[in-house]
Amino acid sequence: MMTMRSLAGAALPVMAALLLASCGEEQITRARVPKEPLPSAAAPAMGMGGGIEAPSERPRGLVWTLPSGWTEVAGNGIRLATFVPPGGLKTEATVVALPGDSGGELANANRWRGQLGLPPTDEAGMAAARTTVSTKVGTVKIYDFTGEGAVRSRMIAAAVDTGGTTWFFKLMGEAGATQSARAGFLAIIKGLKPDAAK
Amino acid sequence: MPRNNLVDRLAAALSSLKLTIACLALLMVLVVACTLAQVELGTHLAVERYIRAFIVWWVPEGSAVRVPVFPGGGLLGGLLLLNLIFAQFRRLELSWRKGGLWIMHIGLALLFIGEFATALLQVESNMAIEEGQTKSFSEDYRRMEVVVIDETDKEFDDERGIPDSRLRSSNVITDPSLPFKLIVRAYHDNAALSTRPAGTAPSIITQGVGVGMTYQALPPVTGDNDQNTAVAVVEPVLPDGRSVGVYLLSNALGARQGFMHEGRSWRLALRLRHYQHPFSLTLNDFKHDLYPGTNIPKNFSSLVRLKDPRSADDREVLIYMNSPLRHDGLTFYQASFGKDDTLSVLQVVRNPSWTLPYLSCLLVSLGLLWHFGVMLRKALGARPA
Repeated sequence: MMTMRSLAGAALPVMAALLLASCGEEQITRARVPKEPLPSAAAPAMGMGGGIEAPSERPRGLVWTLPSGWTEVAGNGIRLATFVPPGGLKTEATVVALPGDSGGELANANRWRGQLGLPPTDEAGMAAARTTVSTKVGTVKIYDFTGEGAVRSRMIAAAVDTGGTTWFFKLMGEAGATQSARAGFLAIIKGLKPDAAK
Repeated sequence: MPRNNLVDRLAAALSSLKLTIACLALLMVLVVACTLAQVELGTHLAVERYIRAFIVWWVPEGSAVRVPVFPGGGLLGGLLLLNLIFAQFRRLELSWRKGGLWIMHIGLALLFIGEFATALLQVESNMAIEEGQTKSFSEDYRRMEVVVIDETDKEFDDERGIPDSRLRSSNVITDPSLPFKLIVRAYHDNAALSTRPAGTAPSIITQGVGVGMTYQALPPVTGDNDQNTAVAVVEPVLPDGRSVGVYLLSNALGARQGFMHEGRSWRLALRLRHYQHPFSLTLNDFKHDLYPGTNIPKNFSSLVRLKDPRSADDREVLIYMNSPLRHDGLTFYQASFGKDDTLSVLQVVRNPSWTLPYLSCLLVSLGLLWHFGVMLRKALGARPA
């Protein structure tokens, strides 16, 4: 007949196994997840001809026109829209509008630099990196930063104040792809117009 | 063998009927206390602190000292299990006549063991899925994770989930698959987010939407239908020691926050903990039936399409009350619904020991029948001729 000692000897490993199963530090999980398809913006009206698509209708204060081949994907949350250049380039542009000056020009510039792993700059460095473009919605300030490392990333950021709201247009991606998309991105910036429907 | 040795004395104590009565009495008090505590703590937290714990602790207000005040359900259940086992082997002879009692007691012991295993191993989550939507993950409404996502690929996101327990216990998170380390400056299970007033001292948050925001840590919510606003302040640091910046993450912040490194696009977020599954469910139809002429619910059902590429499984399954879907060690129950009957919420449970209660009931029933049969035979045999 089973003695108390042999019973304890049999029961203890079972209890220990159960406890061990629940002990230990939780592990970091890793998963490869298919991207969820984002809803596309409505197709622009056809028949305008030329290389410029008709502007989409969006009562948001600004209207932009995408160059031929570029597509717009509806944003979510704070991002109003994403512009995808043609050719599967590893770069894309985003649109965000924030109230006020959103922290100021230098803070924004250093935030963009930080996203590329660059150290912060000062007022002089920011001024040196800034170019301006005149548009129908006002003067747009444009910054062009390139990150470091074996595979470089590049960001071309444009900011315009439309009186109470600062609009940020940011093209960011692999440096070579961003260079390829630069002309189209600047065409979007130069074509900014006030939203007549607002 | 001397009768008064330590093992025998311990065995005698553990097999004592007095111990059984004491444990049952304490369990009754515990159940009442837990029921009352649910008002303030909510169901889940009350069960965690009273029934699943080994000790019920009291923390005086304003103090960090924990004072043990009552044995918890884990301790009482464990003692009852030991009491059952020791009493069984010390008092019950191994014979056909006592076979029914043996089987019953084994069934009872399995019930205890099953509950311990469930407490230690069960993982519960939820899958909220809209009609037409396909999902391959479920969410834990009570657990959070910081997720670091490599978004570079056009079709797939490469996600690393850092569980909240690691965020609380570790200041530096490293992983062989990550090209940078993540310094955890702060983690709070619950907080109130607000805009930082002008003129206040600069925040440590230097990147993302958290710049210009502040937070105040709060006690975790306790209501069953309440949700914590978790906050994490993290700082990615590159291999050469450069900091990318300090980000404020929260499940209440929906804006994308991230950076580029070596040509790859990284996103940081804090969200409900995800459990990825190697199969997908598509909700084809959700039905919410009422009794005719009334608003009394009669039935909730979700018609889902299960697709598992590992086994070429591709079939429709109807999930409704008391008829869950069991697949890949998971059980999907119809739990809730919303959005004008277009959203179904399934409770997803992984419990390796789910069969033990059924086995236990079967054994207890068999044992009772066996013992009844033995007693009946004895009674019939004792009748005068």
